[in-house]
Amino acid sequence: MSAGPAMRFAVDTWAPDYGTSREEQLQEASRPVDVEVEVLPDRWVPITPDPAVRPAGAITFVDGVRRIDARIWIGEPDGFDRPGVCATVAAGAVRCLPGRATIESVLVERALFSASPVATDLDVGAAGRYLLKPTPIASDEALYLAVHNHMMSVEERLSDELEEPGLVVYDGRLGPRNGPESAGYVKSQHVQYLESTDLQAVIGALEPGQRTPLFHIGGELPNWSWYLRLPGPRSHSMSGIVRVELPGLGDVSDAVERADLLSRTLPRFASESHKDARAPQNLYPIAGLERELRRRLGDARLLDRALRQRAADSAGHAAVSAARSAAG
Amino acid sequence: MAASNPPTAGATGRATPSGASAGRPAVGLVLGVDDATPLEFWVAVAPGQTLQLDDVVALERRLPDGATVEIYGLVTQIRARHEGAHFQSDVFLIADGTLPAQVSEAALVQPTRFEPEILLPPLPGTPVRLAEASQRDTALSFDTVERRLPAGLSRADEPVYLDLDFIDGTKGAHINISGISGVATKTSYATFLLYSMFTSGALGADAANTRALIFNVKGEDLLFLDHANRLVDDDQAARYRALGLTPGPFRDVGILAPPRKGDLNATPATGSRKTGVAPFFWTVADFCHQRLLPFLFADAEDERQQYTIVVQSVTAQLAQLEATEDGAVRFDGRLIRTFPALVDALEDRLSPTDPDEPPDPRWTGRAVGSGTVNAFIRRLASAKRHVEHLIRADIAKAQAHALDLDRHQVTVVDIHGLHDRAKRFVVGVVLRQAFEAKEASGSALPLQFVVLDELNKYAPRDSSSPIKEILLDVAERGRSLGIVLVGAQQTASEVERRVVANSAIRIVGRLDPAEARRDEYGFLPAVARQRSTILKPGSMYLAQPRLPVPLLVEFPFPSWATRPAEAVRGGGARSVDSAGATDDVDLDTVDGNGAGPPADDPFAGLTS
Repeated sequence: MSAGPAMRFAVDTWAPDYGTSREEQLQEASRPVDVEVEVLPDRWVPITPDPAVRPAGAITFVDGVRRIDARIWIGEPDGFDRPGVCATVAAGAVRCLPGRATIESVLVERALFSASPVATDLDVGAAGRYLLKPTPIASDEALYLAVHNHMMSVEERLSDELEEPGLVVYDGRLGPRNGPESAGYVKSQHVQYLESTDLQAVIGALEPGQRTPLFHIGGELPNWSWYLRLPGPRSHSMSGIVRVELPGLGDVSDAVERADLLSRTLPRFASESHKDARAPQNLYPIAGLERELRRRLGDARLLDRALRQRAADSAGHAAVSAARSAAG
Repeated sequence: MAASNPPTAGATGRATPSGASAGRPAVGLVLGVDDATPLEFWVAVAPGQTLQLDDVVALERRLPDGATVEIYGLVTQIRARHEGAHFQSDVFLIADGTLPAQVSEAALVQPTRFEPEILLPPLPGTPVRLAEASQRDTALSFDTVERRLPAGLSRADEPVYLDLDFIDGTKGAHINISGISGVATKTSYATFLLYSMFTSGALGADAANTRALIFNVKGEDLLFLDHANRLVDDDQAARYRALGLTPGPFRDVGILAPPRKGDLNATPATGSRKTGVAPFFWTVADFCHQRLLPFLFADAEDERQQYTIVVQSVTAQLAQLEATEDGAVRFDGRLIRTFPALVDALEDRLSPTDPDEPPDPRWTGRAVGSGTVNAFIRRLASAKRHVEHLIRADIAKAQAHALDLDRHQVTVVDIHGLHDRAKRFVVGVVLRQAFEAKEASGSALPLQFVVLDELNKYAPRDSSSPIKEILLDVAERGRSLGIVLVGAQQTASEVERRVVANSAIRIVGRLDPAEARRDEYGFLPAVARQRSTILKPGSMYLAQPRLPVPLLVEFPFPSWATRPAEAVRGGGARSVDSAGATDDVDLDTVDGNGAGPPADDPFAGLTS
């Protein structure tokens, strides 16, 4: 148990899911896109990766999950309550070899995100300990963004610790994780990188296993990127479309080679719709990893109970000290 | 992956275990997603470890006061599954390396013992270890058994014992064996238990005077008990020695068979065994004076049957007839030497030639109509040809052929060739003789064992008969009298409940699947019931009062011959039967097929 004066807090009576509907809609700063890196725009057609390219034998998928365990209100000396978010994040890696997919490592962390100056670590006994992660702003958006960023950082730490990871595919945007063997795998398309409708039409014309030519996304952390259609039933033009990105470094010919390798490798892992609500984009290894990670987050009701217990204790403690000072 | 750390004692934050589970590596941990109860709990098997059915395990539970309860149990079921898979077809993805999943194995354990007896569930996370050697004895409560009767080997070739206290009447008595025919179970196992009883030393000094009466109801399996089995090889002999037994034949065996029909010399009617067999029958005087008539009527005690009154009256009257020295009786001035003659005389007595003259009420009972009398006569007459060779005073020294159950340690009464009616007569009469002899002796020791197969025939659930009454007497009072019934049947569901219920030891060989589902086998856990339908020859489930879980045992191949081809030439124990013949099987005249069982099935060729 932490020594010193206990942080006084209360757990919001509303279930923590309310107010989190914003999910992944993180603002994308508009970045310059160059569509002329592999072929010129008037030559844009679907590309069938060279069948001679053998799919990668070993590939590692890295993913993270997060869960808001509770929204809390931290009592401050001025009598106002400041918000905080108790969240658990987990990251893991699954290594797929022919005939064997293994979850290689898992990291689970609990953290308290708050801008309150009196916030401290929160020990909930056997259920664990929420480490304080101060945020600059107290708004909901800032808190949720902090949770997301924390998850990304845990994923990054985890992938740093992987031994001989080989090809590493991160679920989601690559961001700062720009190791030479890294790739980002974006399932849902929120940003339109291709302005020209002619180029957009190429995406719709992709057959399963085909990819678009590469384009380059500039900015602080540049990427090589392309669209790929996974095998599966086609209900609309974007069915089975994913966007893959590589660190935007080096030569375009290297990037093309890797794009072909990934485009040949990924379709094998595409899921089927009766098994996954986000089929085919939600790849089997990632789905399996996510299930395992969600399990590792721990039982939400247990954590909720532990937090409320702790909050009740802190209120009692505060009441006692208040009574003491009044008596003194 | 992270979950694959082998469990250690420290994994649960408990102190290093001592006693029940010290020393050995844990094979797994009590798992927490299924309820752990004092009656059963699941154990997650650690990676790199295995548990199999019938393994004996040990674990501990620390009490709040610091004391420790040692919990022992038996693995009764094991399952393996993919964790992380939701669909059956996920197995293809997992095998393909597309979907991550973990194989998890879990074993269901049924506790056999709590030491001290504080019935608590084991806590999830508790390390579980294999119980071996002395720990296994503790787990199966063998350590508390003073007089151990070797009863077979476990699948791991370790001895399994029965507590003699639950056989000899001290705390319980009687053994009941169920199982279908033809998989070397019932009689083979019953004789094995007898052999163990006589030779293991469990009975101490009483062994010499202990007697066994065995009815040979089918085939001729039991007619060669006194001959060593030449098919017992070194492996089988080693199994006997592992149980503390020495393989060999029974030492002191008397074999009795009914006389051949129509043979005036009353030579015994056995097929393959020509010598060393004595005939048995009753004189007409015995039949009358010992009141054996009711045993000819399967339903003679059924109150609804009118003619039972006639049976009772006639029995009482016959008992008063004057006997001659050679076993005949005088009846209405006639000298009766044969059963047909007795039937004729009775007929004359009960149906007077003058139809207007009422029959003698002393013989028929009061107010009995002629129809009832005729029913009695009809039934009696129909028994005539089945038992006439068993009730006779037409040969010299007929009295010498009365059954003497005391002469040999083991007396085999061969009834396999008799008609069902005659079988019931012999079983009923012999059982009563044994029962009355014990009653008269006034002492439970030495014990008298009675081995009887096809109990469903002699003590059927749904009807009443003098034989059934005797069996019920044996089952209910035999414990105090020192008569131990080793009963067997294909289907316990067809046997009188009280006979089976009074058996302290229940044994089940292979069962018919429909039979295995019946309530009579409620002492078998569900998995054991399933397994009982596929038990291989020589395997049985053993349920005894000391253990809440039945044990699977395998018993060694009989070290006594079960047919002539197995008998060691001239190697049998020598004994002299009641007729004074020597006991060697006449091996030149036997009709055995000579083929030994295949090497992988020591029980091939056994028929019951």
